[in-house]
Amino acid sequence: MEKLIEILEEIESGVDYENCTTLVDDNYLDSLAIISLVAEIEEEFDVQIPTVEIIPSNFNSAKALWELIERLKEEE
Amino acid sequence: MTYTDSAFLFIFFPIALVLYNVLPKKCRGTILLLLSYIFFFIISRKLIIYIFITTFIIWLFSYIVKKLQKKRDADLEKCKKDEKKLIKEKCSKKQRIFLILSIVINLGLLVVLKYSGFIGSNINALFENFGAHGRINIFKFALPIGISFYTLQAISYVTDVHKGVVKPDTNIGRLALYLAFFPQIMEGPICRYSDTAESLWNGERTTYEGLTFGLQRIIFGLAKKLIIADRLNILVNEIFARYAGFDGGIVAAGMVLYTLQLYMDFSGVMDMAIGMGEVFNVKLPENFKQPFFSKSISDFWTRWHITLGAWLRDYIYYPVSMSKISKKTTSKLRKKIGNYYGPLITSTFALFLVWLINGFWHGSAWNFIFYGMYHFTLIMLGRLFDPLNKKLISKLHIDVKRAWYKSFQIFRTIILVFIGELFFRANGLKAGFEMFKIMILKFSFKNIYNGELLNLGIDIKDFAIVIIFTIIMFIISILKEKDFDIRAKIANRNIVLRWMIYLILIISVIIFGAYGVGYIPVDPMYANY
Repeated sequence: MEKLIEILEEIESGVDYENCTTLVDDNYLDSLAIISLVAEIEEEFDVQIPTVEIIPSNFNSAKALWELIERLKEEE
Repeated sequence: MTYTDSAFLFIFFPIALVLYNVLPKKCRGTILLLLSYIFFFIISRKLIIYIFITTFIIWLFSYIVKKLQKKRDADLEKCKKDEKKLIKEKCSKKQRIFLILSIVINLGLLVVLKYSGFIGSNINALFENFGAHGRINIFKFALPIGISFYTLQAISYVTDVHKGVVKPDTNIGRLALYLAFFPQIMEGPICRYSDTAESLWNGERTTYEGLTFGLQRIIFGLAKKLIIADRLNILVNEIFARYAGFDGGIVAAGMVLYTLQLYMDFSGVMDMAIGMGEVFNVKLPENFKQPFFSKSISDFWTRWHITLGAWLRDYIYYPVSMSKISKKTTSKLRKKIGNYYGPLITSTFALFLVWLINGFWHGSAWNFIFYGMYHFTLIMLGRLFDPLNKKLISKLHIDVKRAWYKSFQIFRTIILVFIGELFFRANGLKAGFEMFKIMILKFSFKNIYNGELLNLGIDIKDFAIVIIFTIIMFIISILKEKDFDIRAKIANRNIVLRWMIYLILIISVIIFGAYGVGYIPVDPMYANY
């Protein structure tokens, strides 16, 4: 989780990633940030994020993102 | 018949409301569908056949996918563990063939009906330019109203079924109503199956809250459209038709007033559609979120025609920018030019496609394509210079949370939006450039000072009404932007005050609405897209 927050900070700094649950809804992460994020996560955590998982509910909080990564790891 | 016609407001809608509520729950979905088809038939006559075709195609797709998935599940139950992946892939491959087929047919229908004239005339122009004698015959088809909206809904449904986001639905009534629900068929919002299909078909009775909140929203939408948008119509038409005879000040006024008119017209109709949805106990998605408070063009497109932007993002931008080739390229580029410019370069093609389609979707004319490319360029420039901009802000010690900086960002965005809308409304791309040239090179306030603006179809009284109601709408927007829930606040007030506010709104629409002799209502702008 710490590594994920680090990645998020690198892409868009100054957001309270521990508590924010509206990262997409409130435009903290725009579509370009999502692409950077997916690329970074795939490399760092060795998972493949399919397009079907690119939905706001998976990206709205660091916690939701972390759960997605865990789930994808399990499925692989 | 449009949503602001008396026949719709005082006959069709009340009858629909009564029928919906007196019939038993199990019939309500069917009656809504029947009413939606009657509405569609009234506005499109025999062109209703096209929505039948689209409905049948997505039903057939659902039927086939359901069968495929049933077989896959049966195979999965009796297979060995290591065969599971293969079975799933096999099913997905077959599904993909039917997905592509259904998208091609639906999109093909839209392209042939909407763009064959445009494509044909451009090919002939090319022939002429190269001195060739051949000419192709141009067919111009009648376009059913709402086709650009329900086709996108159909495509989102089949794609979501393929992705597994929604289950294949073989209830043709539910699918038909999802595409044809009468409050949204003309101008959207573009709904997703998971948002509305179930609740529409379930037919929950109208609640007191749904009725009062829904009617409020309908009247609010009517006020925007009748008091402001329709009142400005003659003036806007006049300026855009005879721009060559005006100075830059009048052309600039036309550009600003057209943007105001478009917003009041389109968001007004959306308020009405969402309000009607509330009355029938269905939550339609919002299509506008105070767009004139946007701090950038990207931000603007998350607040203006939201459902179109979201559709293009989910069904074009992400699938293209997250495709295998794009991901591979992104990965390579990230290592070479970093984690900002790497993804930026690979997503450029996806972004270009999004804006090309956005332009084409709005109409088969070069000014719409230019409009798409204009926004693409602005967003790309914004993205390219974002790191530099951030560095500059930090060097100059600018506090981005300060009101002056936010106001500067909003002002800059509004100006860029105005220019885009000038080309969008112009009678052709050439006229758009000419108007832009006049606005810059012949700018003067002279004709505004000497009252020329008041001789273009609307008088000082009309202007006063437009200004007063725009200020009221602006104050409401500020409150909404600050998350102040006006509707809930009014609903909590005592009954006398509450009804006084509602009555003032109704009376305002009746007295100040621009209808009858001397006014031409705006064509339902987005209905033709």
